[in-house]
Amino acid sequence: MTVWRLIIGRVFTALLTLWLVSIIVFAAVEVLPGDVAGRILGRNATPESLAALRLKLNLDAPALERYWDWFRGVLHGDFGSALTSKRPVSQILADRVVNTLILSGVAFLLYIPLALIPALIQAVRRDRSIDHGISIVTLILLSTPDFLLATFLLITFVIFIPILPAVSVVTATSSFGEWVMALTLPAVTLAVVMAVYAVRMLRDNLIEVLDSDYIRMAELKGMSARRVLLRHALPNSLIPTLNITALNLGYLIGGVVIIERVFAFPGFGSLLVDSVQVLDIPMIEATVLLSAAVYIVANLFADVGAILLNPRLRKS
Amino acid sequence: MRVATDPVIAVEELDFAYRTSGQWVTVLKGVSVHIEKGEVLGLVGESGCGKSTLAYTLLSYLRSNARIDNGKVLFGGLNLLDLQRSELDQLRGVQISLVPQNPTTALSPHIRVGQQIGEVLVQHDFLQDKSVIDERIQELFSLVELPNPDALALRYPHQLSGGQQQRVCIAMALACDPNLLILDEPTTGLDVTTQSQIIALLIRLRKQLGMCMLYVTHDLGVLAQIADRVGVMYAGYMVEVAPLDRLFDTPRHPYTKGLIGSVPDVDIRKRMSQSLKGLLQRDKLPVGCPFQPRCDHEDATCREMPQTLEIVSDGHQVACQRWRSIEPGVPVDLTDAEWSTAPGDRSLLALDNVSLRYSADTLFSSVFGRSSIPVVRQVSLSLRRSETLALVGESGSGKSTIAKAVAGILPPLTGIIEFDETGLAGDIRRRTAEQRKNIQFIFQNPDASLNPRSSIEQILSRPLVKFFGLSNSELHDAIDDSLASVKLDSTYRARYPDELSGGERQRVAIARALAARPKLLLCDEILSALDVSVQANIISLLRQLQTENEIAMLFISHDLAVVRNLAHRVAVLYDGELMETGQVEALFSPPFHPYTHVLLLAVPSIYNRRASNVPARTEIVGTAAGKGCAFAGRCPWQLGEVCTQEDPPWRQNGQSNWIRCHHPLEELSKRATWHLQLNGTGKPG
Amino acid sequence: MNLTHWFQLWRRSPQSLRLGSIILVFWLLVAVFGALWTPYGYAQLGAGLPLSGVSWDHPFGIDQLGRDVFSRVLYGTHIVILLALAGTTLGVVIGALIGLVSAYIGGWLDEVVQRFAEAFISIPFLVLALLIIALAGPDLSGDPILIVMVVAFVYTPRITRMARAAALDVITRDFVTIAKLRGESAWSVVWRELLPNTTGTLLVEFSLRAGYAPALVGSLGFLGFGIKPPIPEWGLMISENRQLILAQPITVIGPGLALASLIVGLNMFTEGLARILGRTVKLGEQ
Repeated sequence: MTVWRLIIGRVFTALLTLWLVSIIVFAAVEVLPGDVAGRILGRNATPESLAALRLKLNLDAPALERYWDWFRGVLHGDFGSALTSKRPVSQILADRVVNTLILSGVAFLLYIPLALIPALIQAVRRDRSIDHGISIVTLILLSTPDFLLATFLLITFVIFIPILPAVSVVTATSSFGEWVMALTLPAVTLAVVMAVYAVRMLRDNLIEVLDSDYIRMAELKGMSARRVLLRHALPNSLIPTLNITALNLGYLIGGVVIIERVFAFPGFGSLLVDSVQVLDIPMIEATVLLSAAVYIVANLFADVGAILLNPRLRKS
Repeated sequence: MRVATDPVIAVEELDFAYRTSGQWVTVLKGVSVHIEKGEVLGLVGESGCGKSTLAYTLLSYLRSNARIDNGKVLFGGLNLLDLQRSELDQLRGVQISLVPQNPTTALSPHIRVGQQIGEVLVQHDFLQDKSVIDERIQELFSLVELPNPDALALRYPHQLSGGQQQRVCIAMALACDPNLLILDEPTTGLDVTTQSQIIALLIRLRKQLGMCMLYVTHDLGVLAQIADRVGVMYAGYMVEVAPLDRLFDTPRHPYTKGLIGSVPDVDIRKRMSQSLKGLLQRDKLPVGCPFQPRCDHEDATCREMPQTLEIVSDGHQVACQRWRSIEPGVPVDLTDAEWSTAPGDRSLLALDNVSLRYSADTLFSSVFGRSSIPVVRQVSLSLRRSETLALVGESGSGKSTIAKAVAGILPPLTGIIEFDETGLAGDIRRRTAEQRKNIQFIFQNPDASLNPRSSIEQILSRPLVKFFGLSNSELHDAIDDSLASVKLDSTYRARYPDELSGGERQRVAIARALAARPKLLLCDEILSALDVSVQANIISLLRQLQTENEIAMLFISHDLAVVRNLAHRVAVLYDGELMETGQVEALFSPPFHPYTHVLLLAVPSIYNRRASNVPARTEIVGTAAGKGCAFAGRCPWQLGEVCTQEDPPWRQNGQSNWIRCHHPLEELSKRATWHLQLNGTGKPG
Repeated sequence: MNLTHWFQLWRRSPQSLRLGSIILVFWLLVAVFGALWTPYGYAQLGAGLPLSGVSWDHPFGIDQLGRDVFSRVLYGTHIVILLALAGTTLGVVIGALIGLVSAYIGGWLDEVVQRFAEAFISIPFLVLALLIIALAGPDLSGDPILIVMVVAFVYTPRITRMARAAALDVITRDFVTIAKLRGESAWSVVWRELLPNTTGTLLVEFSLRAGYAPALVGSLGFLGFGIKPPIPEWGLMISENRQLILAQPITVIGPGLALASLIVGLNMFTEGLARILGRTVKLGEQ
């Protein structure tokens, strides 16, 4: 009974947060700036174009009403039309989102072993030279901003050892091989950035588990080192690993913004940058809301997973 | 150092150190001890003496920052310290097993308890066939008296009570019929009644199975129930080894005498004067005898000469070169003539029909929360000036909650609290400054009750400034006086809490409370986190302060022995309800409330050794709370249906003693047995 | 605190703290130095042959406009450090204030603050930064104050959450209860009991965020939303010089190494600081 109550509570909180985000986003671009139309048109504004834009965006209506219209649309999947291309936002989003999903998926798959293996090695060989060595490497990689890392990888694998393309432009007609070539550098960059962050936290977490009373007890009742690690220690690292992964997913959404730019990958991230540059209001609202939604859902899954996996909430 | 017969395990000249924050600390120095077949060796000492480390060394369990400088651990012809992990894996759990201190954290939270035993059997090739394994698990569970073995094996650790978890750990340790059982303070975290049941179980098992044991504890009373021989440790040294009776009747080492003298006993009242003076200071240990700085019998060479165990008599050794010139035995004062503050007449504190519930904090629970049963129900108490009223009970009895209500942390649900014959507001913010000054609280944990970022001077100045508006010049002297009253010198002013020991911190907390010159001190288990000898000093300090300052105390404790040595009156609580109240001496003589009787029987006493009067195993049956007696379902003298249906009446026993029971007082007197075990005289046997 | 005291502190510090401090001091000196003098002007065209490579005169080469990249990196140092530190300080001060007060007052105010903080944290760093830039509009683009505000705003919710957690941890401790039982005013409790016991955590948090701030500033510059050219903001430089990657990768590697080493120094310092204050720290961007 308690488990379900906890889960429902989490879902409720997640929905509440998402709703607050929608308010924040809307307020940021449509309410607070004041003269929205003037902003968008900038120096090209004429009284007629301003009036037309105001009419189009319904800027004369009260803010609450405009918010409600937009929000209702969102609930139905209708984010309005892009200001620049006049196409429905959802359509433009759809293509880009799919691309980014593929990129993220590959990055994620690469990240898992890249994070787990060093963390395990570090935890088991604590305080020895390999532990220190890996720590130094992760520190340096951590301190390299993602766009810089991407650029360095670019320089290495496109210029010094020219095996990969400099840009990752893919279209609907690109072949599988072209996809692989295009995805490699951006996916690897993302994977490495996520992995170095996770390795440190996983190491700390594994060490904490290995120092627990019950691990000591397992050892003192004669369990082999292998059994202690696999049967007693690792399962208790699952929950924190979930949390770390959720956080990484959160990073991923933000990270694609800049990585896609570096490699000119036609995804969700570069869409956001472009729309901010031209102040395409409906586009901005949609992309920011979507980013937050992904983060919230990812965290929700991690939380629910943690609840379901928590042995203290289990009944026999 | 000759060894009697062929011992099961022997430690020779062990030197053990480990590194913390870059420094090497010696934990064991030249320790030698052995355990014979079938015997129980007790290891006793206070915090930092190294007893737990020694126990774990018998399993060759060393952290990576530990170092063995010297010594051997001989078992079955091998030196355990030389063995590799894989060899040790074959030894641990099979020939030597451990029963841990904290069973709740020692059991893996994600594995069912049956499986945790099963894997021991499988790993050690003890049994292979699955059905045979299941049978063995059932057998073990029955051996440790766990009910419904088949259902229990499927449970997770958090679904079991503390006592049940420890039984599982014991079963796990016995799974492969070990030769040696090592028990590291196995009952420390448990209630006193649960503790006595576990000890009784261990005594039975030992008779049945005949394995030898190493029993580590800080509790001399527990030792007196189970040990054959005892080793006393101090600051990493073994200072005395003796058979049990010899140790308690004629202890030779000054530390042992002081330790025994410090332990408050439930059977008699002691003077409790400074039995052990001073404190252990690890960084200032002399080259010779470690106890020398605190010893009353030292001579010129004690400081320089390393002490070795000398033979006093058969099986009795002591590491003190002066033992021949020191009187054996522990002086015990049986009168309490020196300590009798006469309580005043007027009522200082009165609780009338008070019920309490934990506060609901979050938004959610205030919207969705259901009404729950109050944790304290209809309690009425009174306290006079200069009087100490002890609130006694086990965990969940509500005693701390009552203290919090009087303090103003938790407003009462129903009922009235009066102080100095005026009503006391439930919430601290609505009380007068005078009331806040007159009621002071001292917490259990000295680590948490002092601000780590404030100096002692700053900590003590706050109440002085707040309640008396002292100026800076006046403060200086006032703080010195404050420190002196708790026997700390003025060098403590500039220090910070993390530089002080637990006992010193608790003294500062007391000084802080007294600085306000209160009329009432609320002491919430203030001794529980302290070593035995430190407790003794604080008890004698409190007595003195009460006499000097005419302060009343509401003393919360689970320890009946302490209560007997400190309180004028006692109230016994069970599950939020009062069971018995009265003068302290009346509490310790018949008639007893059934619960009081159970508690008394459960307290291990060093004068009542190897007691066989174990209270009957009682299952906790859920009671319809709010109706009937709270103790029904667990009561060994339960009358029947009436106990769960009707609230028991209060029966007056003498002038100011009350017992709440359906049994008439004569019946309770008839059934009482506790007072008889002391040869009928109430004096140590 | 006299000299011997500092020396003792140095000797007892962990490796990471010492190394980190050295790197930071180095960069601080470069910042001051570079703001005052560079071998060539940062906007000086024709310092050398465009697109020439590494040489003693031009350790980082020349970009396509003929500017000496090394001088530009030198000059840009104080810009990135100032922006990063200003933004972080503002974020930490505001965030800590809100967090501590919210934790102390509790009740529904605390709930509201928590929910809003959660909402802001749900928007990934860079996305939130871009949202604020969109909010600010094209006129303010490139204004250093805007960049400082963006950094501060992105950090505030996360620091609020952390400060609140730290405060709650302290509030539940017995010595705070004792102060309340004495009838101390809210101000006294916050000032005497709460604040001294949270400064350690806040200090480490500051150091942590300061470590990531140059990356954030650099990212914004890289995307073109930072300081406008010809001011040699490092992120912008890396972005601009990417076109020259095939010809002279050093023009990108130079500023890249500078940025990376600055952040390495900051992160090492944070780790060392956390260790001596007895806390664990999660290095990284989250």
